[in-house]
Amino acid sequence: MRSPLWLDMAALVRALRAGRALRGLGSVAVQGTVSPQCRNARRGFHCATLLRLADDSKSGTSVPPPSFHEVPTAGESSSSSEPSEDGQPNTSYQDQSGEHGEDYETEEQLQVRILTSALEFVPEHGWTVEAIAAGAETLGLSSASTGMFNNGAGDLVLHFVAQCNAQLADTLAEQHNLVQLGQAESKEMAEFLRDAVEMRLRMLIPYIDTWPQAMSILLLPHNIPDSLKHLSTMVDDIWYYAGDRSTDMNWYTRRAALTGIYNTTELVMVQDSSPDFEDTWVFLDNRIKDVVNMANTAKQVQATGEAVVQGLMGAAITLKNLTGMNQRR
Amino acid sequence: MQRAAKCALRPDLSLVFCPSSVRNCRAVNRVNGSVLCRRYSVLPPPRDEEEKAMLDSMLRVDHAGEYGANRIYAGQMAVLGRTQTGPLIQHMWDQEKIHLEKFNEILGEHRVRPTLLLPLWNIAGFALGACTALLGKEGAMACTVAVEESISEHYNSQIRTLMETDPERYTALLQIIKEFRDDEIEHHDTGLEHDAESVPGYFLLKTAIQVGCKAAIFISQRI
Repeated sequence: MRSPLWLDMAALVRALRAGRALRGLGSVAVQGTVSPQCRNARRGFHCATLLRLADDSKSGTSVPPPSFHEVPTAGESSSSSEPSEDGQPNTSYQDQSGEHGEDYETEEQLQVRILTSALEFVPEHGWTVEAIAAGAETLGLSSASTGMFNNGAGDLVLHFVAQCNAQLADTLAEQHNLVQLGQAESKEMAEFLRDAVEMRLRMLIPYIDTWPQAMSILLLPHNIPDSLKHLSTMVDDIWYYAGDRSTDMNWYTRRAALTGIYNTTELVMVQDSSPDFEDTWVFLDNRIKDVVNMANTAKQVQATGEAVVQGLMGAAITLKNLTGMNQRR
Repeated sequence: MQRAAKCALRPDLSLVFCPSSVRNCRAVNRVNGSVLCRRYSVLPPPRDEEEKAMLDSMLRVDHAGEYGANRIYAGQMAVLGRTQTGPLIQHMWDQEKIHLEKFNEILGEHRVRPTLLLPLWNIAGFALGACTALLGKEGAMACTVAVEESISEHYNSQIRTLMETDPERYTALLQIIKEFRDDEIEHHDTGLEHDAESVPGYFLLKTAIQVGCKAAIFISQRI
């Protein structure tokens, strides 16, 4: 009797963790001189415990999980030609991300695929489990695979946010590379920030009608740590590529300011009805100008303060000289 | 290629690494030829979240430590700057400035978050330096001895951690920490040479400062 898909997955993940622990023990034990028979026997033992989800194992398995494809069990012959160290990654027919072959994937990768295809159904179903179910069905899986997602709609929203942030980081990195190579002009900081936030907010445009629902999902207490983490990594990325290398309180004030700008602009955007969200970009422009003005004012205040302190010190030293107190001890 | 372009775009880096006030100093010339004036990346690209978190917290606390040490020497100079020990404290301060500069660079390049409590260490360090300097030259030296002992012990434990994890992977970082630890031990010995132990209440003062340093290290690793 076949157990439900998610039970299999849980068992696989547990076996994977157990296998990793055992492999760690095995590789320590194998450090010394071990006879070839012992080595193969140990490897066979690892094969039985490590199901195919291991990153750098190369052997075939004994128990195929129901919905996954088989990997050719070329493990034994190739592993015997490997040098003494057990569990050494073999890059000849695995790629670095951990997939074993073209037809094989981990639980996380499957979840990513389902959620990505579920995004198409968001305009229709909203950010709900129904959208995930519809996405799973397009991939040929049963709609019961929504059981994989403990957080339901929260998983879908967080996945979308992570995907947008990754896309933003990639684009910013490419632009940064072009500037480094001298093939593009480097932008002013205010302009760079404006363009980066605009680019990121434009990714919301296809889902803008349902975005208030997504925002409320992100504000649920159990989603707040994850959504804050995504927000902070995004803001950190934008500042890094804008050229911020500060290592004092500026690090915090700049990121706080940009977080404020991003959140308020996002709120303006969801209720903006102007063509191509022009009002939103004007709002963004004004907010960034405000922050830049504040930064300049702060610098001026600090410079004035320093000048005043210098003046006071000068007056104090003059007084000390006049009263004869300023002598070398 | 990317790195060469970046170096070409920046102004002369030697001005950053070796400020002119320091360039003439004899002891610093040793450091000029060392790892501080090289331009490659100090840390290997992180292979997972755990390693990044561990390196982040190590660098954060090191940066906080050097920042605090800077402020302590600034406090000592504010009180004793125009006395006979002024040049000695200035010399040690200049070496700490170089350390701080290096950590600033590493933090900026590797996107490590600095500790939130920097303003607190700013004030506390300056206050500690100034108060111990008010006890006289011996007090300032005692403070130096206590702080440098804490810092070098801390660097030693970091070196041990890195060596236990993977010495080849962290060669550049290990070299930097070892150099800095050697500098701190030199400061510690200088402090002892200049009558640190003759301050009244030396053991009490030293223990109190070292407890404070341990607490600061503990907090800065996390916040």
